[in-house]
Amino acid sequence: MAQPKKVFSRRRVCRFCTDKDAIIDYKDAKTLRNFVTERGKIIPRRIYGTCAKHQRQLTEAVKRARQLALLPYMGSTQF
Amino acid sequence: MRHYETTYILRPNLGEDQFTEVIDRTNAIVTNDGGAIICLDRLGIKRLAYEINKETQGCYVYLNYAAPGKTVNEIERIFRIDDRVLRYLTVKLGDDMNAEAIELEKQRIADKAAASAAALAADVEGDEFDGEPLEDETIED
Repeated sequence: MAQPKKVFSRRRVCRFCTDKDAIIDYKDAKTLRNFVTERGKIIPRRIYGTCAKHQRQLTEAVKRARQLALLPYMGSTQF
Repeated sequence: MRHYETTYILRPNLGEDQFTEVIDRTNAIVTNDGGAIICLDRLGIKRLAYEINKETQGCYVYLNYAAPGKTVNEIERIFRIDDRVLRYLTVKLGDDMNAEAIELEKQRIADKAAASAAALAADVEGDEFDGEPLEDETIED
């Protein structure tokens, strides 16, 4: 009778929904860098609580930024 | 006419003349097909996140334009042939683009540029302004 583990989690709100001024732009590598790990992976939305709509836009933006060599496909930018 | 934006990366060691030549040629393709250039922005030489064709830096050029679809094909064909272009990316922003929409878009970009310039100026002023009350407080304490 294992009790379901209670994971404490604060309800996070999507930061793009709260801040209407923040737009997702693939040319803005500085902002996008907050949404990828140090190794360059896109951070899942269960971590940041981004809403589905904005996470989709974010994914698209990160992938475009990678094509333009603004973000790395893998690894840090130092090579 | 459709609304597109293209960002392309040039080899950094070409020199100003060649940059201008490539940019002018690209712009000429757009205007020759009856398109209109809305905004051209040289983002300058930036460090690439990974090597492309042995280059670690690249000169980024951003072009925002309204043109028929075949223009994009032509531009990308030229880019593929041209050795000086390291990478390009075209994104469609909108389907219908008429003269009014072009003006609106130009206005929007100008507004955005003005806003960011104003924000920058305000930031500088704000910093100066912030400094003084802080000093006053310390004196009061």
